[in-house]
Amino acid sequence: MPRTLHPAILSVGRALPPNHVDQETLVAALSAYWGQKHFNVERLADVHRAAQVGGRHLALPLAEYPALDSFGKTNDVFIRVGVEVGEAAVRAGLAAAGLSPADVDHLWFVTVTGISTPSLDAKLANRLSLKPSVKRTPIFGLGCMAGAAGLARASDALRAFPGDVAVMLSVELCSLTLQRGDASVANLVATGLFGDGAAAVVMVGGARANGARVPRVVATRSVFYPDTEWVMGWDVVDTGFKVVLSAKVPEVIEARVGADVDAFLAAHGLARRDVTHWVAHTGGPKVLEAFRRGLDLPEAAIARSWRSLREVGNLSSASVLFVLGDLLESGEARPGDVGLLAAMGPGFSAELVLLRW
Amino acid sequence: MTEPEAAVTREILRIAREDLRLEGQPAPGEALASRLDSLALLALVVAVEDRFHVILTDDDGTRTRTLEDLARLVAARAPPELLPGAAATGVTP
Repeated sequence: MPRTLHPAILSVGRALPPNHVDQETLVAALSAYWGQKHFNVERLADVHRAAQVGGRHLALPLAEYPALDSFGKTNDVFIRVGVEVGEAAVRAGLAAAGLSPADVDHLWFVTVTGISTPSLDAKLANRLSLKPSVKRTPIFGLGCMAGAAGLARASDALRAFPGDVAVMLSVELCSLTLQRGDASVANLVATGLFGDGAAAVVMVGGARANGARVPRVVATRSVFYPDTEWVMGWDVVDTGFKVVLSAKVPEVIEARVGADVDAFLAAHGLARRDVTHWVAHTGGPKVLEAFRRGLDLPEAAIARSWRSLREVGNLSSASVLFVLGDLLESGEARPGDVGLLAAMGPGFSAELVLLRW
Repeated sequence: MTEPEAAVTREILRIAREDLRLEGQPAPGEALASRLDSLALLALVVAVEDRFHVILTDDDGTRTRTLEDLARLVAARAPPELLPGAAATGVTP
């Protein structure tokens, strides 16, 4: 396909809730809950420090979390705050792209941290005064992979509608999924890692990209790993979403990512050495290391992902889009550069997106 | 291995099997890390600390290679009233 027909990414709007809390303050707050359940409270602090996250932005001020004692209450907050940060991300993305809400033809919405019907994209269509013909596609359940997968599916749609504008919005308010009664190690690890945020990718079809110096989505590939449903996900319980997290996640990634990426690149006449920009999901220290080792990359190749992890934590599906936004904003990419965006999530599966500037 | 150490070993295996439902439980002389992944190992350590009111440090971790090592350390460090069998002698764990 000629380069000009590939969909293009114009911008990534990013938004964080205003309630930033440093990691030590969070450790102290959580210790108050789990100190009654665990003899060695310092171990909680050790687990959280091992996440190498400096702090997180939270949907609510820390003092308001104890009142969230039911799934209904946390989900109400998800809807209220999710619309606010989602709107901020979409407006930021559109402004950076030089577009207005009235230009949007497709609105994709991904999340795994709350539910609503109508979905948040409908509420945003009203708040943003999107046109009545806007095509809405909410996706729930792809977890951390959904930012990459949503971007890929939006680009698929833009191949069919090359004159259209698509916004792919991720809203993840992970702090609202906190299960205070769950003193499991998986929950300890998750509460040390995940933060809240929203990101909106603004894309246009190939006919509308005007040769601007922006990345084109050349190709995408989904990789499903059979019989690995147990690796990660949610158990839905009376109080909300209880995390399922296996220590096998880094192992699966390290074992598979190299061959999967190589096959994808080879299908487009490329190899790892041709990739200048690696945009990796900030799953956590072990996930990032597994990704780097699996691809035999130098540490500098994923420095942007490490920085994002340290600054805001793992934002689930929004994470990889934050890294992409940072790369676009840096202006480092040059015409002809190749980028590979990758994220993994429940399924277990991976989503790969090939970019070319 | 002394009887208290053997009793602690049995109790750790019970915790792993019944409380944590861990797969791949280690034999007493087998390296813990060879049978348990990192999260499972951490879960076991946390559960042992909670059950026996001991604190296992990083240094302990480097010296504690097998289940037997862990049981010896716990038996030496745990309050006597929390060791298995203490309840049978009239001491409440």
